[in-house]
Amino acid sequence: MKTIKEINEKIKKGEAVVVTAEEMIKIVEEEGAKRAADYVDVVTTGTFGAMCSSGVFINFGHSDPPIKMLKIYLNNVEAYGGLAAVDTYIGATQPNEDPDVDIDYGGAHVIEDLVRGKEVELYAEGYTTDCYPRKDVNVKITLDDVNQAIMVNPRNGYQTYAAATNSRDEKIYTYMGILLPEYNNVHYSGAGQLNPLQNDYNPETKSFNTIGIGTRIFLGGGIGYVIGEGTQHNPPFGTLMVKGDLKQMDPKFIRAATMPRYGSTLYVGLGIPIPVLNEKIAERCAIRDEDIEVPIYDYGTPRRDRPLIAKTNYKVLRSGKITLRVNIDGKEIEKTVKTGSVSSYKMAREVAETLKQWILDGKFLLTERVDTLGRAEYKPMKSPITLVKDVLSKPPITAQSNISIMEAAKILIKHNINHLPIVDEYGRLVGIITSWDIAKALAQNKKTIEEIMTRNVITAHEDEPVDHVARKMSKHNISGVPVVDDYRRVVGIITSEDISRLFGGKK
Amino acid sequence: MRKRIYYWTASEHINEPVISDTILNTGVKINILKAKVEPQEAFLILELFGSKETIEKALDYLSKFGEVEEISKVIKRDSEKCVHCGCCITQCPINAIYMDEEYNVVFKEEECVGCKNCMKACPFKAIEIIE
Repeated sequence: MKTIKEINEKIKKGEAVVVTAEEMIKIVEEEGAKRAADYVDVVTTGTFGAMCSSGVFINFGHSDPPIKMLKIYLNNVEAYGGLAAVDTYIGATQPNEDPDVDIDYGGAHVIEDLVRGKEVELYAEGYTTDCYPRKDVNVKITLDDVNQAIMVNPRNGYQTYAAATNSRDEKIYTYMGILLPEYNNVHYSGAGQLNPLQNDYNPETKSFNTIGIGTRIFLGGGIGYVIGEGTQHNPPFGTLMVKGDLKQMDPKFIRAATMPRYGSTLYVGLGIPIPVLNEKIAERCAIRDEDIEVPIYDYGTPRRDRPLIAKTNYKVLRSGKITLRVNIDGKEIEKTVKTGSVSSYKMAREVAETLKQWILDGKFLLTERVDTLGRAEYKPMKSPITLVKDVLSKPPITAQSNISIMEAAKILIKHNINHLPIVDEYGRLVGIITSWDIAKALAQNKKTIEEIMTRNVITAHEDEPVDHVARKMSKHNISGVPVVDDYRRVVGIITSEDISRLFGGKK
Repeated sequence: MRKRIYYWTASEHINEPVISDTILNTGVKINILKAKVEPQEAFLILELFGSKETIEKALDYLSKFGEVEEISKVIKRDSEKCVHCGCCITQCPINAIYMDEEYNVVFKEEECVGCKNCMKACPFKAIEIIE
């Protein structure tokens, strides 16, 4: 019907009709996709969210005498040193080398500072060779001082990002923000109806209508390009690999962030123009928030395959609350909780609006893709896993709280153990005593188990990964965790000795 | 109406049920948002509910045993740093943060109780709580 060449001619003459994906919804609703395709030339999209998979290739130019940089730090954040002499790649999520600063100032912050025109301290060390005699270098540089600063983001612009909630009885800190205990909030990310890949998607062929290698885009306030499919690309969860010139970028659209107790990340403004070549493309560009299904997963389960809690859509998520059917303490209940976004819809709008203006002003022409996006593939890592039940072998040794401290001490000695879970008549966990508690009882002249046992016991489940139990023990500074079933009956115990045996190699 | 105040009591009154007496004597309703008792003084953040008259009476009464200061603003947001993502919204226990129809994150400053949850959740460190 229309060609990109024709659209570009119209853009040059200032005659192109350009609308944002939000505006396109109304046009198609009111006039139908056919009429919309007749007169709308370009639909602009946008997204602005945490894109951890972002970074910048920098070429610093040669020092005198020259150095082959191997260990490279920018404002104390390590950049990759395995490239040629004075090239590096700094990734957004790299933490600071200073443990006191750590994730509060990471790779993303270096990138934002460069875009802001701030001075950044470069420290690099190398090994000397005949052509690179210099051992180290320490200078302050700005973005103007470096030759190239090319942003290359291996995975940006997720088509739909799953939403997150948390079944645990404690807060968890994730890349989806802070998730409250017992499913008390749902966090989501994504521009939904403004998302580039959503607006360009063809569900029948599971491919994209116009976006491909070579598509010219808005990246961080400058002009960039799609250079291929992103990592983990798997439509309808498509992703993009993009590049852009950091020197063109605007600090408004490149923002460093730190997800609390998780890590640093870079918020990137990404916008893609979609040429409305036919009715089908026009129709898809009218996709609305309510048409996009978003799964909600339980991030409280520390496994790769997280349980699906519900399926919803962006319209519900953006309403600010959602009703979930969840299982708490074995009871199925209905719960209405708040929803919160992790990405910025307001900024996504600004991206789409800015790109629209560029095209209307004739500053930005569309490109024909040179090839479609590459292979879709998203499979898990072939990695071994050890679950709690793989480590549990011995039957549990437990006792009831009516025994004497002397009897408890005897049990510990007889079985050569340090932890004794205390159970009720049904075998359900009520507390725990350790050899240390018995020593304390002796020192403080305590008489009963009730007086010395710990009641708030940290427990584990048979299907839990051992890594997770190890982290719990280290976090709570304890050396043993009773393993319980769904009814809180003790089925075993896992101790730091069991875990060190895993690493020590003795079964 | 509702009024939020900072309240410091002098050391000689720490052991007295000043808050309970205020409630009983004036009929005001009090929500204690924060209380920190130290050897030399006690510091509280109180929320008073009642008619204008009741609240005034309560403030008068409280003033006999310590110092009252009205809380005008606890929350401060750096509008340059804030990108209106919304990571803070679900962290607010009293629904003082919400997203408006234009997708701006809005703070109802007069309702803030200074719990700092939003501040801790902000990926851009755009929120400051003044104490």
